[in-house]
Amino acid sequence: MAKVKCAWFDFASCEGCQIELTNFGEPFVELLEHVEPVEFREAMSEKTTGPIDVAFIEGSFTREADRRRLEEIRERAGVVVAYGACATCGGINALKNHQSDYAEEVYGEDAKRPHLDSQKALPVSAAIKVDYEIPGCPMDKAEFIRVVEQLVHGTSKVYIPSYPVCVECKRNETVCRYDDGGHCLGPIALAGCGAPCPAAGIPCEACRGMVNKPNQAAMELVLKENGNLPERWAKDMTRMFTANFRGDA
Amino acid sequence: MKSYFLSDQNLTAFVEGLMSKYPVIAPVAKRSRFVFDTLVDVSELRLDYDTTILPPKKVFFPAKQDLIHFDKDGFTSAIDPKEQVLLGAHPHDIKGIAMSDIFYSDRQYDNNYMANRKATIIIGCSVQNHYKHAFFGTMNANRPLTGHDLFMTKIEGGYAVDALSEKGEALIALGTFTDAGDAQVAAATEVNKKAEENCPEKLNGTAEEIREKVRSSFDSPVWEECAEKCFSCGSCNIVCCTCYCFDVQDEWNVDGASGTRFRLWDACLTTEFSEVTSPGGSENFREERAERYRHRFMRKAAYLNEQLGGPACTGCGRCSGACTADIANPATVINKILEQ
Repeated sequence: MAKVKCAWFDFASCEGCQIELTNFGEPFVELLEHVEPVEFREAMSEKTTGPIDVAFIEGSFTREADRRRLEEIRERAGVVVAYGACATCGGINALKNHQSDYAEEVYGEDAKRPHLDSQKALPVSAAIKVDYEIPGCPMDKAEFIRVVEQLVHGTSKVYIPSYPVCVECKRNETVCRYDDGGHCLGPIALAGCGAPCPAAGIPCEACRGMVNKPNQAAMELVLKENGNLPERWAKDMTRMFTANFRGDA
Repeated sequence: MKSYFLSDQNLTAFVEGLMSKYPVIAPVAKRSRFVFDTLVDVSELRLDYDTTILPPKKVFFPAKQDLIHFDKDGFTSAIDPKEQVLLGAHPHDIKGIAMSDIFYSDRQYDNNYMANRKATIIIGCSVQNHYKHAFFGTMNANRPLTGHDLFMTKIEGGYAVDALSEKGEALIALGTFTDAGDAQVAAATEVNKKAEENCPEKLNGTAEEIREKVRSSFDSPVWEECAEKCFSCGSCNIVCCTCYCFDVQDEWNVDGASGTRFRLWDACLTTEFSEVTSPGGSENFREERAERYRHRFMRKAAYLNEQLGGPACTGCGRCSGACTADIANPATVINKILEQ
């Protein structure tokens, strides 16, 4: 069987997901028996302009100028996989979507300079058709391997859980952040990561995005009443990774 | 049944005796809570625990359980029971295990559960501290306590220990026990009675009243009201000692030819539980969160009540504690329905 030609592309992001892949070690090396990377900025200098089987896109779509590049990737790729929080939901970049209050404050008289002129940070799917999404900041390596394995071997349906992080915390028998006097976005955060943050005593920030139809009103109430957060923090908590899921997005 | 007495001083040596023969899974502290875990050192044992995050069901059926390993030539079963001791199960958790045993053996014999269950010796223990949401004194209180091998009740100076099976009787040789006196047996009875009476929460109504009232409340606005703050997060399901639904998935290795089929505890409060594929996509037969919220109560209080002769609930209170929105408490919700 011919190897599957894969290329990795990055947009507005830290490229941490590419780094995460190079950190993966053995399973990724095993994957190389089935895939042939033809472009991967963090690990090789070659570039490609020809047709590719699978394009992995990292980073959010946040400049109109990037639309053409995305469309060009879409045109020559059989399958497009958006991976990482930035590419699947705008990620941490979408913090700026709520920008009325900081541009002048931060940049002063430079606030109007052209290089700062960017639109809202949106997922890649806002510009082109995306076939698969692998969420998370950084994306989960095991999930990445699973999705690629399924793509390579021709499984049409790639399963990513749609339930919230609470399910995984409970399965792991992690002490709830709220039982430990903390706060957490677990009840509305999309699972699939295995909930490592609450297990380490860190609140979930919903880096994989929100579940379908999240109960955001109840979340705000719980952050305030159980998590003891001040009103404004409770309201703004979901701007970190999930600004595009908010009612005011 | 024979009753023994184990002094406080002899507890450690008895547990170490158990540990020398079997893996011993018992309550240990985890941050602000407790969990059942394999004892590494007897000093970790906390028989004074109030409740654990997950019920002891996980000892037979872990939250993720491998079913088969497969490759291009066929498959092998992952069933591999090991003799083990579950130490320190509270009476209501023993009832929960007895209910699970029915679910996994009555209509469909589930050997992945039952093989591990049969290989487990259960040592119960009395409730020394109540979980703040517990209401086991008024939920299935009259249901007989069965399926365990030893039961230890904390009394003055030590434990009154009932040997309830041959397996349990055989364990007595691993420690220094004396025959229990009549006063010690009577003290133990009183301790367990008091534990039921002193539950912080109370449920009203008999099993029949609960079954009828909950069933006839199907169209009541109460579900919509209660579910307003519901996250559909499934925490109430996952921590429940009588929830038994699971999801089966295949995990393929990178070679695309071999892998493992496993199952995960599932939760009917989550949207994907009731989502099914249909021509051209999928549909959900419990689309609204109030419908899913109601379904849990219908299952526990009405439908399974018919199969078990009582609600599929032990009053452990784990769901009430796990619900961050504080809307899952069965005592509160069922009492509210009974008053309607």
